[in-house]
Amino acid sequence: MNETGLRDLSEKLIGTEIKAELLRLFHMNPGILDTVDSIARRIGRMPNDVETEIVTLVDLGVLRKERFGKLDVVSLNTRKDKEVQEKLVALIEGGVKE
Amino acid sequence: MRAPSGIPELDAMLHGGLMRGDVSLIVGSAGTGKTTLALQYLVNGATKFNENGLYITFEHMPSQIYRDSANFGWDIRKLEAEGKLRVVCTSPPVLVQFVEQRNPIDTIIEEINAKRIVIDSISHLEAFIPSSELRGELYRLINHLKMKELTSVFTAESHEVLGDRLVVTGVGLSFLVDCIILLRIVEIQSSLKKALTILKIRGSDHDKQLREFEITAQGIKIAAPFAQYEGVLSGAPRRSMTEAFTEAFKKGKRI
Repeated sequence: MNETGLRDLSEKLIGTEIKAELLRLFHMNPGILDTVDSIARRIGRMPNDVETEIVTLVDLGVLRKERFGKLDVVSLNTRKDKEVQEKLVALIEGGVKE
Repeated sequence: MRAPSGIPELDAMLHGGLMRGDVSLIVGSAGTGKTTLALQYLVNGATKFNENGLYITFEHMPSQIYRDSANFGWDIRKLEAEGKLRVVCTSPPVLVQFVEQRNPIDTIIEEINAKRIVIDSISHLEAFIPSSELRGELYRLINHLKMKELTSVFTAESHEVLGDRLVVTGVGLSFLVDCIILLRIVEIQSSLKKALTILKIRGSDHDKQLREFEITAQGIKIAAPFAQYEGVLSGAPRRSMTEAFTEAFKKGKRI
């Protein structure tokens, strides 16, 4: 198993409780297309706490953030999310080198 | 040109279905079956009439919609995977954002070539959009959907569960939409029953009767009209004069 790679990726994905909650929310509800404020409400958190974690997941490519007028709209990037999940599985199985 | 709901009795009441390209409103209090009826319209569209659909929810999470739909035998996830239906969970401010004539949901409408759309529920807009702007924003949204040639269904909550008062919405939405289907709880002989009627269809005749309906394991099932009662919409119906007379006559004969 590639432990460093696995640790890094899992840290980026689910390193905090809020990130784990966000991933769970989007995986169970892939049709969410919403603002940070509303997403925060949907997981019972405060917007400021959620915003930082969303930025990390957007950087990773799992979430997508698009500007519509005055609003930033966040959604799941299903293609990239699938890629990241496959990479995670491969790391767990030891099939991918960094 | 009509967009059938796939519920035979309702389509007969509508004289064939909803008018294509129109915006219809399903209004009713909590638990009357607004979401079920709206979902059934989309599922039947996708499975029976080859018309893909988009379901927009503000409050219900898609996971809840998947679970509840499964109880009626509707596999929403499968329809999503087949590109026939899409469930989008968003909030009212996102829905009314327009940039360079595009709305955030336009991409999804184009992706799945949607012909039907449900917005559940339009009442949530009232909580997010200032009342002075609400009617204008609704008018813009309705026209945007019409320009996309979608046959749209909005749901709206009525706060009156029982009683003789009925306010569809506070912003004159009933004037903006083309068709109104009213769902109501009524008390008949000490039990609560569900009633459905069509209040209006712009540019078309329709059945004016009030019919009983049930939410069954297969979705909405519409039964016979409440022919023996008067004042059903008030929530406290009484037997019609003819029925009361017949009943009294029968009792008299027995004596």
